[in-house]
Amino acid sequence: MNQKPNIHLEDLLNDDSFKNWVHESNQNDVAFWKDWIKKHPEHIDEVYTAKAMILGISFKKNSVDTTEINESLQSVLDSISTKPTMKKSAKLMLYTRYALSIAAVGLIIFFSLLNFFAVSGEINYKTGFGEVANIKLQDGTLVTLNGNSELSYHKDEPRNVTLNGEAYFKVKSIPSTKAKFWVNTNDLTVEVYGTEFNVNSRLEKTDVILDEGSINLVFNDGKQKIMKPGEIVSVSSNKETISCKKIEKNNTYAIWKPKTYVFNKKTLESVMKHIENTYGLSVEFDNDSLKYSEISGGIPNENLEICLKAIEKITDVKIEKSKEKLLIYKPTN
Amino acid sequence: MDNSENTLWYSFLSGDKNAFSVIFKMNYSELYNYGLKFSKCSSLTKDCLQDFFIYLYTHRDSIKEVKSIKGYLFVSFRRTLLKKLKNERRFVGVDVESAFFSNFEFSPEEIAIRQEISAIKSDTLTNILNNLSPREREAIYLKYYSELKVSEISSIMNISYQSVLNTIQKAFKKIRNASENEIISNILKKY
Repeated sequence: MNQKPNIHLEDLLNDDSFKNWVHESNQNDVAFWKDWIKKHPEHIDEVYTAKAMILGISFKKNSVDTTEINESLQSVLDSISTKPTMKKSAKLMLYTRYALSIAAVGLIIFFSLLNFFAVSGEINYKTGFGEVANIKLQDGTLVTLNGNSELSYHKDEPRNVTLNGEAYFKVKSIPSTKAKFWVNTNDLTVEVYGTEFNVNSRLEKTDVILDEGSINLVFNDGKQKIMKPGEIVSVSSNKETISCKKIEKNNTYAIWKPKTYVFNKKTLESVMKHIENTYGLSVEFDNDSLKYSEISGGIPNENLEICLKAIEKITDVKIEKSKEKLLIYKPTN
Repeated sequence: MDNSENTLWYSFLSGDKNAFSVIFKMNYSELYNYGLKFSKCSSLTKDCLQDFFIYLYTHRDSIKEVKSIKGYLFVSFRRTLLKKLKNERRFVGVDVESAFFSNFEFSPEEIAIRQEISAIKSDTLTNILNNLSPREREAIYLKYYSELKVSEISSIMNISYQSVLNTIQKAFKKIRNASENEIISNILKKY
C-alpha cells in the first residue's frame, strides 16, 4: 500500500482497501488500516464517519400490494387509451438506431428523405446516436449537426431555426439585406450576423461558444447580451443561471467543432458525459476516482474509436467497449 | 443504463404499453413510499402517482436524455407531487414548501432491527433519524432506502454532488454522536 498524505472523506469512500477494512473482508487491508488509524489519530473522526456511511442504515422496505398496483395500472392504461399522445409537432419522426456504421451515402439519403416528407411546411433534420450530418441550409448557412440532435425550421423562415442537442454553425452573412439568423433553444435564442459558433443545448442548459464574428443572445426573460469571439455563455433557464467566461487557460470549457472536440480542464466524467449524449452509449467507471481526473486537449471526433483512443492516451486509462457500454478503468502496470 | 434498461426505456418511448407497464410495476412501490413521506396522505399520493404516469406516457415525446429510469422517475415525481400539494393548499397561507419537506419522517417499522453501524434499538435510531434536518433525512432515505446513487440524489434534490456527500456526512456524524451518547447513558443507567 502506498502513502496516504492528505485524506479527505471522498478518498476513503472510494478506496477499495478501506471498504475491505470496513467489511473486514481482506486481512491485509484490515491490518493496513488498523495500523494507519493508530498512526493518524487526527483522522479518526473522518474514518469512523466514512465507515458509518459505507455501512449505512438498513431499512425494511414496505411494498405495496400487487393487486393494488395492478388495479392502479389498469386505470392508468384505461385513461391512456382515451387520451391522445402529445406530439411535438405534425412532422414525421424517423427514429434512427445506434448508427455508428451508417455510411456517408446513407446520411445524404437520410436528410433528403426528410425534406421530401416535410409536412405542414416544417423542415426537420434529426441525427441518431453517433451520426454527424453536414447540412447546407437554403441560404447557404452550413450546419454540422452532432449525434442525437435535431434541427428544425419552417420553410417560410429558413433563417429561424430551432435546435435540440448540439451543432456547429457557419452562418452565411447576407450584407445586401443585413438579414439576421436565429437559433432557438429551450433556454435562449441566438441572434446572428455572419459568423461561426457552437451551440450545445442538452438537458437543462444551453452553452454557446463563439469562434468568429459577433452574435447577440436573447434570453427567455427578454434580456440580451452581445458575445465576442472567445467567449462562452452557459444558460440554464430552469435553474435561472447565466454564466459568462472566456476561452483561456484557467477556465474550463468544451467546444465541439466539426472534426475536433476541444476541451480545457474538464473532468473525465464530463467528457464522457458528452460522449454518452452523442453516441448513446452508457459509461461506467471502474473506479470513481477516475471520474475526476482533469483533462485538456483536442481530440478528433469523426470516429468513436479514434476518439476513445485519444482519450485513453491523454488520461492514461483504458476504455473497453461492449455493445452499448463503455467501461473506464486504470490499466494494470 | 445497462442494455436491458435501455431497451425497456426505448420501447416505452416508442409507445410500447407493455414496456410502460413493466416500468410502472417496477417503480410503483418505491415512488409511492417516497411520495407518502412528503404528503402524509395515502389517497393523495396514489392519485398523484396515477396522474404522473398518465402524463409520463402521453408526453413521452418530450422526454430528453435519461441516465437511469429510476433516477428520472424520482426527479419528475417529486416535482409533480410538490406542485400538486401546493395547488391543494392554494387558499391556505402556509409555506407549503417547508411544510412539505419537514413532513419527512421515518417510522420504527421501517428500521431493520439489526444495524451494522451500531447495536442500537430501532426505536432509538428512528428518533435520532427524525431529529436530523429535513434535507439530511431525505438524503439518507434516497441513499439507503431507495438505494440511489449520489449523482441521482443530486438531481432529485437539486443540489450539487458535493452537497449530497456533505449532507450525508453531517447526518452520520450526528447519528454516531447520538448513538454513542445513548449507549453511554445506558451503561451509566445500570449504576
